[in-house]
Amino acid sequence: MSESKEKNPLVQLFGTFFGKHWPVWVGGIVLGLLNILLFAIKSPWGASGGITNWGDNFYSLFGLFDAKAVTAINESNYGMLVLLIVLGSFAGALFSKEFALRIPPKGEMIKGFLGGGLMAIGATVGIGCSIGAFFSGVPALSGGAIIFAIGMFAGVILSLKYLIWEMEKFPKWSSGKSYNYLAAKPNQGNWQIIAGIIVLIAIIIMSYSYAKENMVMSWFIIIAGLMGLISQRSRFCIVKSFRDPFMSGESEGAVGVIAGLAVSLIGFTAIKVFGIGAIGELSIRAREMTWVFPHFWAKAAVGGFIFGLGMTIAGGCAVGTLWRMGEGQVKLWFSGLAMVLISPLSAKFLVPVVDNILPQSAKFRNYLPDYLGYDGAFALVLGILLLWYWFVKWNERTGRFSAF
Amino acid sequence: MTLDCKGLSCPMPMMKVAKAMKELKSGEALEMFGTDPGTKTDLPNWCTKTGNEFVEMTELEGGVTRMVVKKA
Repeated sequence: MSESKEKNPLVQLFGTFFGKHWPVWVGGIVLGLLNILLFAIKSPWGASGGITNWGDNFYSLFGLFDAKAVTAINESNYGMLVLLIVLGSFAGALFSKEFALRIPPKGEMIKGFLGGGLMAIGATVGIGCSIGAFFSGVPALSGGAIIFAIGMFAGVILSLKYLIWEMEKFPKWSSGKSYNYLAAKPNQGNWQIIAGIIVLIAIIIMSYSYAKENMVMSWFIIIAGLMGLISQRSRFCIVKSFRDPFMSGESEGAVGVIAGLAVSLIGFTAIKVFGIGAIGELSIRAREMTWVFPHFWAKAAVGGFIFGLGMTIAGGCAVGTLWRMGEGQVKLWFSGLAMVLISPLSAKFLVPVVDNILPQSAKFRNYLPDYLGYDGAFALVLGILLLWYWFVKWNERTGRFSAF
Repeated sequence: MTLDCKGLSCPMPMMKVAKAMKELKSGEALEMFGTDPGTKTDLPNWCTKTGNEFVEMTELEGGVTRMVVKKA
């Protein structure tokens, strides 16, 4: 790079964003803030609902689902949000010259599909994924979200033990022929930056096309694009936050998620306390109950557990799968495909069976402030976050629970 | 020792590196080839935590990164 370019403040700014990865806590805080913005505009961040929407649309193409009952993707806020996370990450990967089509060994693609399938089942049974039921559910002061997290944690631990066992006993499953296409050459590959600009312009045009008739969608498109880009740059991933303390002992991923949760907790609580975005007395209650799903306790525990199994095998949670798809990780394309294909089937055929088995007392909306007041609920969630922070930092120092 | 992690995504490269490092003696080096961008951050961080020495990182053709780690 020439000296004149070095001194150009805009080039320096570009380098700050795309020269190297951001600390996960920076990504977590910004994602937490954007999540507050989504909630203020309409409703918080979620991924599995949008993924199911994609699946519903896919099956309705073949007449398997009633097309009239299915919301078209371009009319579904969350269907579009899923697409824009992938596109935002694609832009981020291109700007940082990190995009490549990375085709892993066959065994990894199979694991990607299986992990995605388990995530689909977990998210439909548990009413939400690592984002909706956890990253948004916990700051929404939902008791079920805490149970979902506990279930997810159990699933991650069991799945991690499986991965370690597999690597010891069957190392060939994760080795073999792999391919890498379209990668930028060292100190070259400016075509990726140009392609990134094209993707960014496409996102802006897409947002602008909704501006007159659907302002909420316009904002969802921009925010989701930013979320994808930020997630890719900071490598924000829920599975990393749960898994790494017990694998390598690293706490960085967990600290990032904790930071995002803490920021959202403040914003979500304010929205709920003041009923921001609510019109009339009745909808204040509706605002309070937003992202408090009817899954306390067993539905959340079972769904979270299955989701935790799946995301660890796939190597990406809901958002982690979407942004890795955007940077060209073909393993996660298989996870995404499985989520799209299996979510509607699970929702249609498996969830009714689970709902029949579970009594009402095992699948109700538990809003923590109803039991503890807003101050008590806030203190409880904040206390859990601080305990989690203390644990991962202590474990990082002592290596007490890390496998390696 | 050389480890091929090309095509693998998180967490497989880090798991394979950690396993391979267990088999090395103090002072021996591990050369790793990978294509996952995350490993470029994860591996130096892991070395800082474990006390192993992160010797070098080189970008090769085809989006492959070569990293060398020396066991403490």
